[in-house]
Amino acid sequence: MRHIPDGVLRRLDDEPLAVPDRVAEHVADCARCSARRSEIACDAEQAVRLLSAPRLVPDTDIAWVRLRRELERRSGRRAPGQERSTPVTGRPPRFPRVSLRAGLVIAAIGVLVVGTAAAASLTTIFAPTHVAPVSVSQGDLRAIASFMGLGDSNALGGFSTPNGSSTFRFGTIKWSSGSAEPASSAAAAGAQAGFSVSLPTHLPGGVGPVQQFMVQPRVSATVTFKSTARRVAGSSVTVDAGPGVLAEYAGASGTDVPTLAVATMPRPTARSTGADLTEIEAFLLAQPGIPPQLAEEIRLVGDLRTTLPVPVPPGASVHSVQVAGWPGVLLADSSNAAAAVVWEDGRGMVHAVAGILDPQDVLNVADQLR
Amino acid sequence: MGLQARHNDPAERLDSDPGIAAFESFFRSQYRTVVRLAHNVVGDSQGAQDVAQDVFLAAYRRFPGDYEQAAGWVRVAAVHTALNRLRGERRRDKRQLLVPPGGYPLGPEETVIEREAGAEVRRVLRRLPRRSAAVLVMRHGGMSYLEIADALGVKVGQVGTLLRRAESALRKEMDRETHS
Repeated sequence: MRHIPDGVLRRLDDEPLAVPDRVAEHVADCARCSARRSEIACDAEQAVRLLSAPRLVPDTDIAWVRLRRELERRSGRRAPGQERSTPVTGRPPRFPRVSLRAGLVIAAIGVLVVGTAAAASLTTIFAPTHVAPVSVSQGDLRAIASFMGLGDSNALGGFSTPNGSSTFRFGTIKWSSGSAEPASSAAAAGAQAGFSVSLPTHLPGGVGPVQQFMVQPRVSATVTFKSTARRVAGSSVTVDAGPGVLAEYAGASGTDVPTLAVATMPRPTARSTGADLTEIEAFLLAQPGIPPQLAEEIRLVGDLRTTLPVPVPPGASVHSVQVAGWPGVLLADSSNAAAAVVWEDGRGMVHAVAGILDPQDVLNVADQLR
Repeated sequence: MGLQARHNDPAERLDSDPGIAAFESFFRSQYRTVVRLAHNVVGDSQGAQDVAQDVFLAAYRRFPGDYEQAAGWVRVAAVHTALNRLRGERRRDKRQLLVPPGGYPLGPEETVIEREAGAEVRRVLRRLPRRSAAVLVMRHGGMSYLEIADALGVKVGQVGTLLRRAESALRKEMDRETHS
């Protein structure tokens, strides 16, 4: 019998039943074919090692929702009198549309908790120089909002009015936040905010042009502890955050859902008078309104005077990263379909880049903001 | 003249498609296989899911209401679409050298060695002849010799030969990659 061709020897390993018995018998008796079979099996084994299926388990439910939405969109476009459909590489529209003001308010609330805890006896400046993750659930946000007298129905909405005051269990909170205003360009937004706005020059695939610039005036909130809060009575903490500039990018397909957002603001600060650091921290974090797990997370942040906590929603993965040489926190959802990175640049500016993008793409954008 | 029902809402219009339930069932049965095939090529989960979305959108148009033949088609389309994307990325990488210091963080259970190996494999897949790259991804993504023969339009007896050549080329290119 003639020697066995390489292709048949290869199939002998994968689908032996599809190869005639005489082939296997020949290989067993033929040193040359046997040696070639070993060599072929060795290459095949290496290919298996390099190319075998990964551990990826995609979420079929989310994918179906995403696909169906795209089919609906295309179905809508095919309606009589409307434009023809165009190929689109859609990404899941799961980017949370939190307004800049709400974002700053969330930051202010976070800073308030931490900044209050960081208060020293006379005047203390909370001026974070770096960021650190703090796990925060929806329940935690509601608890903080409720604790601060902001109402517990929608913590992400922040303060219900641009200016106002509220009484909470241990004192009063007074705030002024102004309303976010659109700006015509990055330069105009920067002029309004008082700092230059840096934007990426290279955008990832799927990201379209800037959809809008928004400028949020400074958000300021002062908490005054009343006399019933014995250990901290008379203390007051004022937190200032902003002004901030938000640039929202449309999708390349023209969808209204922003695929990328770039936010810039000076680092928030807190000034405080009254009780000392240890007393206020112990008092505030031990209150029933503050979830114990969140209090523990905040304690783990370390030196609260210099650290800006970045809220991490449940299910998100957290990584420490370097952005243009500065330490930052990268958050990604479980499927890596959306990601956000927050960092402080060492010149007192806090930056955030978020998008319905791969974490690598988000970091690539962030790395350009120098 | 009778009045014809009109669906102005896109969701209603889609619901009125008698094939949408069958398509959903087909999608659910094939989605993970398609994503894994694409992931073997592009190496990132979001990219693989984007490829899968494009493939199923095309399948919906191509096989209206009849998905018997579509299972093999979506697998082959996933491999080719993913290879197109991989080659497109090479062009993009040349334009934008934007990888931050240290690269992006490792995914769950991913090790540095696995990541480097994955990057090497993708570089090699880009360099291999397209048919060799396709046959490698198809076979090691779980497709049978018969399915590969159908996909490539060759006789089933030729698949072993194509696969053997592709695996040999993969080994040589990986050796080159290691020693370069």
